[in-house]
Parts: sequence; structure tokens; C-alpha cells
Amino acid sequence: MRKSRAHYWFIGPAVALMILLLIMPVFVAATLSMTDYSLGNSSFNWVGIENYEKLFSRRSYQKMFSASLTYVLLVVPISVALGLGSALLISSLRFGGEMYKAVFFLPVMATLLAMAIVWEFALNPIVGVVNDVLRSGCDKSLVYGLLSGSWLGYEPTTSWYGAACIKKFPLWLGDKQYALGTIAFIGIWQGFGFNMVLYLAGLTSVPRELYHAAHMDGADSAWERFKLVTWPMLGPTNVFVITISSIRSFQVFDTVEALTGGGPSKSTYVMVYAMFEKGVKQNLLGIGSAITIVFLAFVLILTLVQVYFVNRRVHY
Amino acid sequence: MAGIKLRQVTKKYGSINVLNSINLDVADGEFLTLVGPSGCGKSTMLRIIAGLETQSTGDVEIDGTSVNDVRPSLRDLAMVFQSYALYPHLTVQQNLMTPLRLRDLDFWERLPLLGYLVPGRRAKMAKITEEVRTVAAVLKIEHLLNRKPGHLSGGQRQRVALGRAMVRNPAAFLMDEPLSNLDASLRVHMRAELSELHRELQSTFIYVTHDQAEALTMSDRIAVMMDGDLLQLGTPDEVYKNPNDIRVAEFIGSPKMNILPGVADPNGQVTCLGFVLDQSLEGTAQRPEQGPVSVGLRPEHLTLRPDDTEGCFSGKLTYKENLGSDVFLHLETEGFEQRVVLRVKPHEANFAKLGQNIFYSAEPGKMILFGADGKRVGLTTQQSNGKPD
Repeated sequence: MRKSRAHYWFIGPAVALMILLLIMPVFVAATLSMTDYSLGNSSFNWVGIENYEKLFSRRSYQKMFSASLTYVLLVVPISVALGLGSALLISSLRFGGEMYKAVFFLPVMATLLAMAIVWEFALNPIVGVVNDVLRSGCDKSLVYGLLSGSWLGYEPTTSWYGAACIKKFPLWLGDKQYALGTIAFIGIWQGFGFNMVLYLAGLTSVPRELYHAAHMDGADSAWERFKLVTWPMLGPTNVFVITISSIRSFQVFDTVEALTGGGPSKSTYVMVYAMFEKGVKQNLLGIGSAITIVFLAFVLILTLVQVYFVNRRVHY
Repeated sequence: MAGIKLRQVTKKYGSINVLNSINLDVADGEFLTLVGPSGCGKSTMLRIIAGLETQSTGDVEIDGTSVNDVRPSLRDLAMVFQSYALYPHLTVQQNLMTPLRLRDLDFWERLPLLGYLVPGRRAKMAKITEEVRTVAAVLKIEHLLNRKPGHLSGGQRQRVALGRAMVRNPAAFLMDEPLSNLDASLRVHMRAELSELHRELQSTFIYVTHDQAEALTMSDRIAVMMDGDLLQLGTPDEVYKNPNDIRVAEFIGSPKMNILPGVADPNGQVTCLGFVLDQSLEGTAQRPEQGPVSVGLRPEHLTLRPDDTEGCFSGKLTYKENLGSDVFLHLETEGFEQRVVLRVKPHEANFAKLGQNIFYSAEPGKMILFGADGKRVGLTTQQSNGKPD
């Protein structure tokens, strides 16, 4: 019997496109990362691993790694926790849930670049609404008492709020102490609605009967039922949400580009922004490619961890 | 062990009545089955007894005390669910331990890691493990203790679910269609096992099913429910032989009871398919049942006749259902769309060919009459009209 070759025709186009659009560019980037090529040059020199040596030795790139990792470590836990919390609260609502879903999901749908401009105005140290509101609380004893801790018996001027009232409120995006935190805050604000939707979907797939069984077995408090049923049953959702949020936070770019440009003093110099700055703005394709390869390695590790270690433990 | 009482229990979802004023007494140690078609409110009633739902009005009493405001875990009941509802991330042993852990260990003792430091926890855990082993031995699932529910067959999961209910030694067991996810042969086998278990434990069982065969085979008493009403409560025999409502008659028994159209005249004579029946309406004075009635005849109470003698019905054979031990003959009668089913022995049915006209008669004294409202009407036997026995 003659073997059919139809399968090649079925998988052919997909494989060809995958090689052309996904795998080839990675190899090209890997090759370029060993050169000093710039766009427009007719030739290039092989420099071996010199680009990578720079990446792991120079101060500005150390700042890059630390900014990216700090951003991920801030955004992932908080946006996951907020997503889960809001999903649990919304799913326990009898009515009004739809409205909360829409409100929390809005920032996900909005263009982040446009939202970043709004945040830029809001966070402006002089005319911004954030500092305006904070400042207006200084002469209202109720707000001042609460925020400065003087009601709890602390010396008001030693608290953050009390000190800021006397001196000045932060510059937020212009201050290297606050800039990365502020960018992370915008990232959380924008991203947790997405996690919430994923968790809501995960919650609907938890069988009702398991909660009934938990009631019968004596899990009387909501916390006991969460521990016994909800959390274990959300296992696959957790893995997915954490992986997706980590990858998305590694990829943060638009807020940095729009609000800080990597500054002040490289405190928000995250990896994708560095890639863009080196590879596109300064036309140093070699070092830009090297950053890209390291970035890909990070994402690959995250994905492998998800597939090989965690997935096995959450599917029962 | 405990008796359970329901007093005027109603349940409404919005404007829909799911339960209409149910009164029910379940005796201590009784095996009571709630049976009815899907949507009749039987599962809702079970969940109200369990405390997973609250009734709109009425009282639930366990052992003489009202439990209306008592949370499910404190009612001392255990429930077996249709889907078994085992915790998929826990092993069989941990599943069986869960109710005991939640009952016997306090908050601090249940904490992971830290809990081990609480004095007295070891002794409690040893006792819990021992109790789990005992139950596992009774159900013969000791070899499964370290597996997760996902790696068990349907029958094994069923046993684990039973075990989780048994470990607490509850006052009563509530079972919500526990056998309906099993294959046919295992279901028949588990019926016997459940009955045995009930005898051993001497505990109250309330069992919900839509399968009338399960209800007839296992129960001490059956409560037939339909459209939110409790229609009849009685032993399996009573419900089968003396249904008090046409809906009960049609629901209990397989193949279902034949219902033939009839007319009652003012003298109490009933005419059915052109024949005057050998029984007439009870009483002589008022006959509100005068007019159309329904005559119920069980398939096993119809006998084949060799030829068209007097007092015989006839019908065309359209389908022969051979069950090996019995044969069901489906007959079509002119001017009457519902098929009549006869249950006969295989050797009696040998001659019958499809399309043939078959003659049959009803065994005397076996018919059941329902008035136009579907309620049972009493009959007395007369000598004159029927054929001689």
C-alpha cells in the first residue's frame, strides 16, 4: 500500500511559517548578538561573547536586571493577590458583580500608552491631582491624624505623611526612590483586572457539590472552605495566572517609554526598554540582540518551570 | 441515630414553588427513599434536611429538636453526593480524615507544620487514623488509602464517598442519587451492599433516587414525590399494589402500568374499551366519579387468551421485548393511542407474530380505578358481569 503524503501538506504551511516568523528571528538575534553590527553598515566584525560580558559586568546593565526583577517581584504577587481577592468577592456578590467586573477590567482594555499620559498628569508633582489631594489633607486634622499616625500616639513628623507635609510630597516619576514603585503601581492597576477575569473563570469550574461536601464535613468558616476546596481547585488557574503575569511584567515597556524613559538615573531601566534603547534608538544591534537573548532565556525558564514542575502538581 | 421530622416544609424560588407543604416522619433506623422524576423537589428536600438550603417556611426536626437555625455540620448528618464530591487533591485516606480533622482538631492543631507543635495532637491524629482504618476495612478499601480519587474507578469512588460519610458515625445518612453514576451491573450490586450496610449500621438512611427499582428494592418505606408534592408514603408493597394517585401508579413499576380509558355510569358500572368490567364503584349513594375514569392494569395482571371469548380485549402486536425470563408484548388498540403492555412467560409468547391480533383479559379483582382528577377510586367486586373465574 502506498503511504499517503497528505500530512506534509497539512502541517507544511504551519511549520514553514513558524520557522520563518518565530525560530529564524531568534537565530538571527543570537547570531547578531555575537557581532558589532549596526543597521546600515555593509559589514560587521565578530566579537564573540564580548556583548554578553558587558551585560553581566557593566553597572548600567546590573541596574537593568535589578529594575526588571524588582518590577516583576512587585507586580506579580500584588496583581495576583488582588485578582484572586476581587474575583472571590465578586463571585460572592448576589448582584452588582457585572459592574465591578466591567470597572476592574476597563484598564486592561484601555490603551496603556493613553492611560500612561493620564497618569503622568495625575502624578505631576506641582499640578497633579495626586499630590494636590495629599497636600489638601495636611491641614485637615482628621486626615492628618489618620495618615500621620498621630492618633495612634506616634510623633506625626516622623511618619512619612507627616514629614511630607512639612517638607514636600514626592516627585513620583522624577524621584529615583519612587519611580519604579510608581511604574509598578500603574502596572498593577492595569493588570489585575485580567487576573481577576481568569480567576472568575477558574471559580466557575469548581463543582458546587464540593462546597456542599465541605459544609457537611464541618468546614464552617469561609476560610476553611477556601483552604479545603477553592485554593486546591484553583491550582491550574494559579499556575497559568502567575506565569502569564510574570511574562507580562518582564515585558513592561510602554509605561517606561511614556513616563520615565528609563530614568531617573536608570532606576526604571527595564529589559525591554533597554532592548529598544540599544537596538533601535542607538542602533547598537549587537548589544540589543544580546539583551533579547537573555530576556528570552528568562521567559523560557519561566515557561519550563510551569510545564515541568508546577503543572504536574496541580492536575489531579 | 435519630428520627427526622418535616413539618409543613415549603420551598419557593421566587414565585416558583418547589416544595408544597411537606410533612414527613422518618423513624429512627429507617431506610426511607424519596423517589420521583427529575425536578420533583426531592433533592431540594434532602438539601433542606442537610441544612445546605433553608426552607421558605416550616420546621425540620432531628431527634425532636428543631434544627432550622443549626448549621449543616452541627446537625450530625452525613451526605453522599451523586458526583461523590471527593476532594481531588487529597488521597483517599486524607479524604476520609477530613470530617474527623474538622470535628476533632481545633484551629491551631489543623495548621500546617505549626500544628505538629500543639500538645495532644499526636494522640488525636492516632485516633483519627485508627477510625479511618476501621471504616476502610468495613468497606474493603484499605489498599486504596494512598491513592487519589482521580485514579479510582467509579465503584471505588462510591465506596470512598460512603466511607467519608461513615467515619463520623452520624445520626443519619443522606444520599443523593449515589448510584446513578455507576454502570448497570455495579448498580445492582451496590443496591445489595447498601441494604446490608444499613442493616449493619442500624442508622437512619434517607435516600433520593429517580429510579423506582432502587426505591422498591432497598427501602423500608418509599415517599413518592411529584411536582413538589408528597403523593404517597408507604412500604414498597403498598405503593406498588395500592397507588393512591394515577401519577404514582404510572411512575412505580416497570414496564409501567397500563392506563385504559373508561366511563362510569350512575350505577357504578365501569365500561372500558367497550366491555363492562367485573368490578364496580364502591358505595351507592353519591357518585361524583360518574363520567370518564382511568382503569389501571399492571402488565403482569393481563393474561393471554387463545381466542376471542367473551370479556376479552384485543390488540395488534407491534413489538416483542424479550428479557429472557419474561416477554413484554406491546399491543396497539384501535381508537386508543397508548400501547398496552403484557408481561408473559416466554413459552406463552412463542406463537405471537408481529402484526397479529392478540386476545387478552384482565385478572379479576386486580384493576385499579382512578377518577378524572387522578385520585384513586375504590372498587367492589360483582358477580354478574365478569367472566367466571
